[in-house]
Amino acid sequence: MAADRRSLVSAHHNYLVNNMLSPGFVLGNPDSPRGFYFLADVVLPGESTPRISGRFFDASAALLVELHWNRMIENPGSCLYQPEPGGFRIASGSGDVLLTVHTERFPNGYLTRIQGRLYDDLGRLRVEPSCEGVQVYGNVLLSLAEPFQFSKK
Amino acid sequence: MKNTEPSKALGSVWIFGDYRNYFQNRVTLQLIAKGKDLAERLETEVTVLVLGDRIHQYAMEYVAHGADVVLAVDHPHLKAYQVETYTRIIAEIAAEYRPEILLGGATSFGRELFPRLAVRLETGLSSDCIALEIDPETGLLLQTSPAFGGDLLAEVITPDHRPQMATVHPGVFKERPHDSGAVGRIVYPDVEIRPDTRVELLRSRPQQGRKGGLEEASVVFAGGRGMGHAEAFAILYELAELIGGEVGATRPAVRAGWAEEERLLGQTGKSIKPKLLISAGASGALQYTAGIQNAEIIVAVNRDPNAPIFKMADLGLVGDARSIMALLLEELRKRL
Repeated sequence: MAADRRSLVSAHHNYLVNNMLSPGFVLGNPDSPRGFYFLADVVLPGESTPRISGRFFDASAALLVELHWNRMIENPGSCLYQPEPGGFRIASGSGDVLLTVHTERFPNGYLTRIQGRLYDDLGRLRVEPSCEGVQVYGNVLLSLAEPFQFSKK
Repeated sequence: MKNTEPSKALGSVWIFGDYRNYFQNRVTLQLIAKGKDLAERLETEVTVLVLGDRIHQYAMEYVAHGADVVLAVDHPHLKAYQVETYTRIIAEIAAEYRPEILLGGATSFGRELFPRLAVRLETGLSSDCIALEIDPETGLLLQTSPAFGGDLLAEVITPDHRPQMATVHPGVFKERPHDSGAVGRIVYPDVEIRPDTRVELLRSRPQQGRKGGLEEASVVFAGGRGMGHAEAFAILYELAELIGGEVGATRPAVRAGWAEEERLLGQTGKSIKPKLLISAGASGALQYTAGIQNAEIIVAVNRDPNAPIFKMADLGLVGDARSIMALLLEELRKRL
């Protein structure tokens, strides 16, 4: 039997990443001033809305949009934030969907599925759709146990 | 930022995650609670092994109820339970991770799967256990199981082979409360998934029946041979319907055709824990009482004042069960 895959799992809310449950995960460095990052933050009991933050680029390394806790705070790519039942999606100015976030409610918990194709500030593919969730590449922490603490925001 | 990377080690007390009919059948959660006690004595952790397709919510639920680790095999080919596929996969995983203890519910599912697993793993299996403890001297699992038709309780150990395997009735142990703040580890083993080529599942549909059923009922009327005949036994159904309860039966009553097999209580049937159990015409053989011992209040009716049922009853009525149940029905009809 080859190596297994391991993560943490929350009783309350998880994301699906790399075909695993995870309470939260982060790619890149959320504290970098201009670089790529993607944060699917831990959702604590009593809350049901996932908190997505990130700075997303296109394949030519041009900044498209920056999200902080599901809210667009920079938008040079003229992206659109579109609420949907159970979540939201971000579409580029040309109408291409960058990211969809959808939360399923279970009897005693929540599962958020993220779909999207995201590039970093060097034009490298960092997130792409995979089965029910996303496959992520590069510098990643897959098992956040508690909410991320931004140092500058 | 706190990043708690999962530990490499898995707990050595394993519970098989039986989530079919999940919100009625809580046996996995009950076994997790017992597994926590056992694991504490062995200074290890509890791992729940769960197979299926899109089993995310069950993994989360097991963590909420105390599982330290969930060992998850999640694949579309596992959507339908097929015993040969499940047996092969679990045996491969157990051979890889080598648990000390493997427990499962004595459900129809567990009764089919666990004997096959025990053979595949070349170890022993104690079925329908009513108690599990750790021997403080040897650290072995003491498996208390009815033997010789229930006349004896055997204490079984598995000294030389692993895992130590046992099945336990639903309702024998109490589950822990749901903890939304719990965080556990989840491990996805790299195991080959291939469909069973000899069996093709064409369709499945849930069995028709009352939601919740015996295991969830707060009041149960349980009838035995002393009810005499089918017409008298039917009084119990009327009583149950009148006050919103359920009907259980001893083995002789089921054999006589007065009640369906799924109403059987005891070692080879269901274990229940209603707030009130009215036992009518049952002497109190061990095979039967093993399934009702967790009832909060037991009222026993039997014509034999020396019947064993009176030793465990909170209130005993010596008399003809048919007559007393008929009187109770008449009285309740007047009042309700």
